[in-house]
Amino acid sequence: MILDKTVNVVANEALGNGNFLLTFAEETIAGEMLPGQFFMVGMPGSGILLRRPFSVCGLPGTFDDSPGDSLQVLYKVMGQGTQVLSGLGTGAALTVLGPLGNGFTVPGPEVTPVFVAGGIGSAPYPALTRACAAAGCPDPVMFYGARSAADLPLLDWFDDHCGELHTATEDGSAGEQGLVTGPLLRWLEGRDPTTYELIACGPDPMLHAIRNIAVPAGLRCQLSLEAHMACGFGVCIGCVVPTHGEDGAVDYTRICVDGPVLPAEKLAW
Amino acid sequence: MVTPDLTTSVAGIDFKNPILTASGTFGYGLEFTDFLDLNRLGGLVTKGLSAKPRKGNPPARVVETPAGMLNAIGLQNIGVPVFLEEKLPKLRAYDTKVIANVFGATEVAYVEACEMLGEAEGVAGIELNVSCPNTEEGGMIFGTDPAALGHVIRICREATKLPLIVKLSPNVTDIQLMARCARDAGADAISLVNTFVGMAIDVERRRPVLANVCGGLSGPAIRPLAVWMTWQVHQAVEIPIIGIGGIMNARDVVEFLLAGASAVQVGTASFVTPSASANIVTELEDWLSERKITSVRELIGGLELPPRG
Repeated sequence: MILDKTVNVVANEALGNGNFLLTFAEETIAGEMLPGQFFMVGMPGSGILLRRPFSVCGLPGTFDDSPGDSLQVLYKVMGQGTQVLSGLGTGAALTVLGPLGNGFTVPGPEVTPVFVAGGIGSAPYPALTRACAAAGCPDPVMFYGARSAADLPLLDWFDDHCGELHTATEDGSAGEQGLVTGPLLRWLEGRDPTTYELIACGPDPMLHAIRNIAVPAGLRCQLSLEAHMACGFGVCIGCVVPTHGEDGAVDYTRICVDGPVLPAEKLAW
Repeated sequence: MVTPDLTTSVAGIDFKNPILTASGTFGYGLEFTDFLDLNRLGGLVTKGLSAKPRKGNPPARVVETPAGMLNAIGLQNIGVPVFLEEKLPKLRAYDTKVIANVFGATEVAYVEACEMLGEAEGVAGIELNVSCPNTEEGGMIFGTDPAALGHVIRICREATKLPLIVKLSPNVTDIQLMARCARDAGADAISLVNTFVGMAIDVERRRPVLANVCGGLSGPAIRPLAVWMTWQVHQAVEIPIIGIGGIMNARDVVEFLLAGASAVQVGTASFVTPSASANIVTELEDWLSERKITSVRELIGGLELPPRG
C-alpha cells in the first residue's frame, strides 16, 4: 500500500559540496519500505509544484544513532527542487508518498554484493548494506566514484560497513584518478561470476558503462535508474526508459512502477 | 447546515458532483484506489485510448516549469480492447461516471475506436481528443482546423450513440470559432482546455529538455488562460462546457463554474497529490455550505461583469 503522509524534517545535515542527508520519521512507511524503493517528496508552500523522487538511503537501524521510525534521504542540490529542500530546517513540513517502486533483489547468502556508485548514486546503499548483512551475504565490495573527493558523501560509513572500498575521482582528489569502471574492471578480471552480483546506481553514462561490461559477459547486474517524473506511481508515464519488449521491439517501461531497479539486460539503451 | 446539492448534468450525463479527473492524469482510474474512494468523484476520464495500443514518445517526457509542467508522453496507452477487457469490468464496481477519452491517427481510426467502445456497459460518454500536441497522429490537426474538426466530429457522431464531448485545443486563434464548429457538427458538450504547446531548453547543453522538442503545458500556470477561454466559449455556444486547466482546489473550481463551466476536470493536481480530486469534492461542499449556496448549479455562468464607464 502506498501512503501519502505529511511529516516534519528531523534533520537536514549538510555533508559538503551541496550533499545533504535528510531525516524524517514516519512509522508506517518505515515499516514497509525496502532498499532501492523511493519516495516522492513534496515541499508544501515552497512554490515547487511537483514532488521529487528520492531513493531511501536509511531505514530504521541503518544508521546506528537513528530512532526506530526514521528514514533518510541522501541528496545533492541539482535544481530548484533540491535547492529549496536544502534550505529546510528541523520541523519544516514535507509531504511524503511511499513506498514506491521495486527495490533491489538482495543477493543470495554465498553471493558477494558488488556496489557501484557514482556520486549521489551511493544513496540507496546504506539501507541495502544492512539488508545484505541480514540475508547472510558476504560483506559488500564497493566501487565509489565521483568528480572529486567532495562528492563522495558517507565515505566513512561505507569504509566501516563494506568488505572492500575502492574509490576513484575524475580529478584525482581521492582514490584513483579516473572513472570508477577502472578499478571495477581490474577486480572483475578472472573472478568467478557466480560468486558476486553487480549492483549499480549513478548517472546514466556510468550505468551505460556498467551495462556494457555486465551484459556481454553474462554477469548478474541490477541497475537503479532515475528520471524526471511527475507522479511516481505510474500514471503520468513520464519516467520511461527503453527496454527490450517481448516481441523484440523496444518498449517504454516506467521507472517508477516497473523500476527503479531493473536487470541490466532488460535495457535497450 | 444544509448539505449543498452538488449534482450537475453535461451532455445528458448526470454527475453526482462537478469534479471529474482529466485524461492523462488519472490513468484508468484503478491506479488511484490506494489514495481515494472513486465513488466520491463525479466522473473520471480515462487516459487517451486508441483502437490499437501505442508506445508513446522517447524520454525525456516531463519537466517542471514555473507553476506547471510540460509533458510529451505521446499518448502511450493500452488500446480500447484491453481497456474493455481488463479495466472497464473493474471500474463498473464504482458509482462514478466513466468517460472514455478517444483519439486516432486518422478519421478512420477515430471511428474504429468509437465503434469498439460501442455501447459498452459502464461507459457514460466519449471525450474526443482532437487536441494532443505531442504526436503527429494525436489529433491536433483535427483540433486546429475548423473544417477537419467538424468532419471528424460528424463521423464519430454517426459511429456512436454515446454522449460526445469534444476536448478543444487552446492552440488556436479563435476558440469561439472552434466551439461553434464542434456544436454544429453534433458535439453534446465541449471540454477545454487541453495543454498549451510549450518548450523548455537546457541552456548548458543547448538542447530541448524534452526529446519531443515541444510538450503540452499544464498546471496552475495555464489557469487564467483556461478560465478566459471557458468564458469566451460560454458566450459563443449554449452546449455545456467542462472546464479544465490548473485546478488545484475548490476556489479554482468555482472560477471555472462562474465562467460558464457546468463541470470541471482536475488534472496535474492528481500528480502532485493523488487524492486531490476527492479532496476538492469535500472542499467544494464546504465552500458552498459556508456561503449558504444551496446548489452548485447556481454558480454556472454566474460571473457578474462590472458596469463599464
